[in-house]
Amino acid sequence: MIELFNVSVKIDNRPVLNDISLQITKGEFVYLIGKTGAGKTTLMRLIYMDLFPGKGNVIVDRHSSSTIRRKEIPFLRRKVGVVFQDFKLLPDRTVFDNVAFALQVIGSPKRTIRARALSVLTRVGLNHKRYQMPHHLSGGEQQRAAIARALVNEPFILLADEPTGNLDPQVSTEILALLESINRSGTAVLMATHNYGLIRQFPHRTLLVENGKITAGEAPYSKT
Amino acid sequence: MKLLFLLKEGFAGFRRARLAVTIALATITLSLALLGLFGLVAQNLSDSFQRVFYQIRLEVFVDPSLSESDFQTLKSEIERIEAVQSAEYISPGAALQEFEKDFGKDLVAVLESNPLPPSFRVLLKTGHSRPEAIQAVVRRIEALKAVDEVVYPENLIRLLDKYFLLGILIAVGLGTAIFAISTLLIFNTIRLAIHSRQRVIEIMRLVGATDAFIKAPFIFEGILQGLIGGLLAAGLLWLAGDLVRYLFLPGLSVPWLYLAGLVAVGVLLGCIGSYLSVGKYLNA
Ligand SMILES: Nc1ncnc2c1ncn2[C@@H]1O[C@H](COP(=O)(O)OP(=O)(O)OP(=O)(O)O)[C@@H](O)[C@H]1O
Ligand SMILES: [Mg+2]
Repeated sequence: MIELFNVSVKIDNRPVLNDISLQITKGEFVYLIGKTGAGKTTLMRLIYMDLFPGKGNVIVDRHSSSTIRRKEIPFLRRKVGVVFQDFKLLPDRTVFDNVAFALQVIGSPKRTIRARALSVLTRVGLNHKRYQMPHHLSGGEQQRAAIARALVNEPFILLADEPTGNLDPQVSTEILALLESINRSGTAVLMATHNYGLIRQFPHRTLLVENGKITAGEAPYSKT
Repeated sequence: MKLLFLLKEGFAGFRRARLAVTIALATITLSLALLGLFGLVAQNLSDSFQRVFYQIRLEVFVDPSLSESDFQTLKSEIERIEAVQSAEYISPGAALQEFEKDFGKDLVAVLESNPLPPSFRVLLKTGHSRPEAIQAVVRRIEALKAVDEVVYPENLIRLLDKYFLLGILIAVGLGTAIFAISTLLIFNTIRLAIHSRQRVIEIMRLVGATDAFIKAPFIFEGILQGLIGGLLAAGLLWLAGDLVRYLFLPGLSVPWLYLAGLVAVGVLLGCIGSYLSVGKYLNA
């Protein structure tokens, strides 16, 4: 349901990804590793169509990068959840409102918003903090709130770009456990990370981005 | 539901950034007030200008020894001149009354008799306001027998005639500049306000809000800012108008329609400004 066919991407005239093909199937858990600047974030942006390939084609669900119209992109994004290293919560509203926001701005009815937001907050273990402001939460809790927001619209895939990059090892493990449980309930997960320890602890298919190519990779033992 | 959310987000934007909104509103208000003030001054100047310039008034003083029927004949002779619209007979008594009303002095008490001669107040038709055209009429009236003297503000008319075009050019130039500055100020203010909410726009795009849905609260907010700024500016001008009228320009008029127009300009600029600004972030 996510397929890349001979995709090449140039940024500022510099090739970042070069003729890559890739497939991620329904409900899969996939890691993305590679040096800084290798193109992991670029690959994720291709998937939520924040970026379009210079050559080749990206298929996400029933949308194709070569034929999708601008107007359809929001509807694709509703099926793809995204979380980042820096959480990107809105600092001026509560955890609940942050999560609800994702449904409000797509025009969901009020009753649905409340029910879904509460259920997803319970799922990420943050229900008891739902009326807190983000800056009153720990990093791990903020990432849980961000994950809740990404999940509230029930996407088929969750893109996580270094979700544990700002978190300590203990909390990172807890976030990974959460992502695994989300994955077990049917949502595919694509996670970029530099934390090879986590990969060994929670092993899944791993892709290495290097020199513009993507190959089946394995977490090297030299790093943590 | 959607509309409610938009309204709530728009107002919440106001609440969340109180200082920024206050500054933005002050900027918008002052820009509009500046624009409105210029328009008002230009309007009032051009009104007084037109009063002098567009309908020329001549005072024709005549021989006091004429009889009643001579006055009638003279009046019709003056009115026969084609550039003349009307000639009104002003008796010495009426002239005296006017004089006393204007200057508040009891002339007769000082001089013991009315020194003012009878006259005709001659209005020229509009369009006869170039100095040469007036001169021609004056010569024809002076040629009539029993006319002593024709008086009109010749120098003022020559001056206005000479600088009329220049004045219009300056006014239009100044007006355009002030309008451009106000517009830029307002647009920039709105752009800054939206810039400070980039994060919200980013999240909205990320979670799949449509462009229209993202734009709407910002445009609503822009309209609201323009509306409030416009109302405040109109209020300021109205008060200022009262003050100026009281202090030194009793004839100053601040028409309601004009103030309403100013509010409309505010709303329009707020709408266009926010539309353009938010559009820029959507296409980023
Ligand atoms: N907005 C941008 N402007 C200029 N260059 C960019 C931009 N975004 C990415 N790049 C370039 O594209 C290349 C790939 O970047 P990308 O962010 O995909 O790497 P990454 O694998 O996610 O790195 P990291 O591990 O540091 O997050 C880098 O060389 C980077 O310099
Ligand atoms: Mg990255």
